[in-house]
Amino acid sequence: MREITYSEAVREALSQEMRKNDDVFILGEDIGVYGGAFGVTRGMIEEFGPDRIRNTPISESGIAGAAVGSALTGMRPIAELQFSDFITIALDQMANQAAKIRYMYGGKGKVPMVLRTPSGSGTGAAAQHSQSLEAWVAHVPGLKVVQPSTGYDAKGLLKAAIDDDNPVIFYEHKTLYGTKSDVPEEQYSIPLGQADIKREGTDVTIVAYAVMVPRALEAAKELEKEGISVEVVDPRTLVPLDKETIVKSVSKTGRVVVAHEAVKRGGYGGEIASMIAESDAFDFLDAPIKRLGGAESPIPYNPELEKAHVPQVPDMIKAVKETLNKA
Amino acid sequence: MAKEVFMPKLSSTMDEGTLLEWFKEEGDPVEVGEPIFEIMTDKINIEVESYEEGVLLKRNYDVDAEIPVNAVIGYVGEEGEDVPENPPEAGANDSKGAQAGSGEDAGQTGAPAAEERGSDDVQDDTEGEKVRATPAARRVAREENVNLASVQGSGPKGRRHEQDMKDALDSTKATPLAGKIAGDQGVDLAEVEGSGAHGKVRKDDVLQHTTPAAAQSAPDEDAERIKLKGLRKAVADKMVQSTSEIPHVTLTSDVDMTHVIDVRKTLLPIIEKQTGYRVSYTEILIKAVSQLMDAHPRVNASLEGNEIVLNKSVNIGLAVAVEDGLIVPSVKDADKKGLAQLTKVSKTLGQKARDNKLTPDEMTGNTFSISNLGMYAIDSFTPIINPPETAILGVGRIVEKPVVIDGEIEVRPMMALSLSFDHRAIDGAPAAAFLTDLKERLENPYGLLI
Repeated sequence: MREITYSEAVREALSQEMRKNDDVFILGEDIGVYGGAFGVTRGMIEEFGPDRIRNTPISESGIAGAAVGSALTGMRPIAELQFSDFITIALDQMANQAAKIRYMYGGKGKVPMVLRTPSGSGTGAAAQHSQSLEAWVAHVPGLKVVQPSTGYDAKGLLKAAIDDDNPVIFYEHKTLYGTKSDVPEEQYSIPLGQADIKREGTDVTIVAYAVMVPRALEAAKELEKEGISVEVVDPRTLVPLDKETIVKSVSKTGRVVVAHEAVKRGGYGGEIASMIAESDAFDFLDAPIKRLGGAESPIPYNPELEKAHVPQVPDMIKAVKETLNKA
Repeated sequence: MAKEVFMPKLSSTMDEGTLLEWFKEEGDPVEVGEPIFEIMTDKINIEVESYEEGVLLKRNYDVDAEIPVNAVIGYVGEEGEDVPENPPEAGANDSKGAQAGSGEDAGQTGAPAAEERGSDDVQDDTEGEKVRATPAARRVAREENVNLASVQGSGPKGRRHEQDMKDALDSTKATPLAGKIAGDQGVDLAEVEGSGAHGKVRKDDVLQHTTPAAAQSAPDEDAERIKLKGLRKAVADKMVQSTSEIPHVTLTSDVDMTHVIDVRKTLLPIIEKQTGYRVSYTEILIKAVSQLMDAHPRVNASLEGNEIVLNKSVNIGLAVAVEDGLIVPSVKDADKKGLAQLTKVSKTLGQKARDNKLTPDEMTGNTFSISNLGMYAIDSFTPIINPPETAILGVGRIVEKPVVIDGEIEVRPMMALSLSFDHRAIDGAPAAAFLTDLKERLENPYGLLI
């Protein structure tokens, strides 16, 4: 199968959906000729023109607000924020408007929009450009939250997100943009709320999303050499969460490490851990649920400190061993 | 509400007791402290007194019944109260034995400590402390009806994991002794039908299994059959345990007793006048052995699990034959006693043993034992170690024998000593050094008086 990068997969999803449906358009800062902060929309203005690849002023609130308004009037906008940290400025539009309109108007208005935004650390972009704030939006009823870890998933999930009649926050990890994977050219979509078992195992489950998935897979590979069999479950969408797949996996292995890049305190891993503890998997737990998350500090600029801030492969190996009482 | 009267656990080795006599009929009033029944344990007979005031509502067992520790023997309560028709099964006893053995509860009657109460329910708590276990371990405990507290946890702070429960389940399908015998004889436990609680395989089941039907002697209709119980059973179990678990090695040495005989002759009237008891060779042996323990600490040791405990006290166990069994009273701090005192103590203990009046304290705490068959026509024998001690001295008779001394044949009163030692704890050389020193001390016994 053809191998393309994560960012190419996102671009392909956008282009295919725009070709299919004239109501789909993109708006954001420097997405036109410049091609977006991470080059995802590069070249698209040539095919779709400035009306559908619409540059905006530097106003995240305006971008999100325009997307909400146009979605309400029947369009299917895709808003791009250059860094997911800037969602703070767009949060009123997303949390107070987009998330609630369909409910408050008894279903008579709907907001079929996608807010795409690069998240996470690893590029030396410092404290205001490197955060993972997915737990903030996942907390708001009415917003769907997606975090793909591969190009294949990104394409399929983005198409499903664009198709969805509800607002979707679509996180793309900065350091994944350049990673390659098998991505079919044809049209396909991956339903929101369907986790993927990235690797099967029997001793312990790592629930990881975004950039934590390749790290979990690498950790699993290392642990396999020591006879420890790790199952890696990628929820892919945080809202809706595929509880069934996670519960089934944890019930099988009896041990779980939940890993994310976001600060551990108040992170989405706590939600996953609580869900497991409340589920049927409880009776199969054979060790306390382990959470791996970022340090409780702003993300440092220094690359070494930045690396130390978020869980890396050795942290995962250690956590797995602790869970297995082998540390 | 009616109170249960339990079979007390009177020693760490007690698994069951035999009901000898009921002192009360159902419906009889019972006072606190009043004996309700008498039981025979593996060591003693004891009257069990009531902890409750009321009426004996129910007698669950008849005389001669062998009743597991913690089983409900009866109920005391108010007249007319309802009590269960059948005694609840004391299921947790087998697996809880080690845990429940909270020391020697001598004299405690009627109401054992809470953690000793057997129950088939999943019991999570030991006294005052919550049992640490994962949800998965708890599920297995629930499903398999295993007492969490009885299982050793491999996790942090003793947390029980699922695998611990599974391992425990596998191992508790047989008693440790049955497991050991099966291991030694290459018997697959899975093929043995267990007669214990929940199908647990017991020692007898394994032995039965290993004896082919054809090899079993045809039953003699007229033969008298004596059931192994009480002390006889305790001795039998202990001997099997000792010989199957302990790698015994026995060293022997002939000792010229000429001078010991002289010493005894000299001291006999003095000690008899002082104590009223006649000093015997046994006391002289106790004295000699005790004096050497400082120099040979491994002989005065106990093997507990993976640890050799070098005992500070020297408590010499004295094997005493009693009716239908063997009891080993303990001469405490023998190294600190003179011959007169040793004579008095050992004679007193021997008599109490024969009268079945020893207290549990007088039967426990030995650090080394002596088994003397010198009063019989026995030259030497292989004594069996009394666990957890690491050695035992067997003493034969004194008999005149020709011995070569300085190239001349002389007739001397000779006595054979046999030292069996646990080769896990002691090696041949230090054991031989001890026996050599003992021979030397006995052949030059005036050192005993120092």
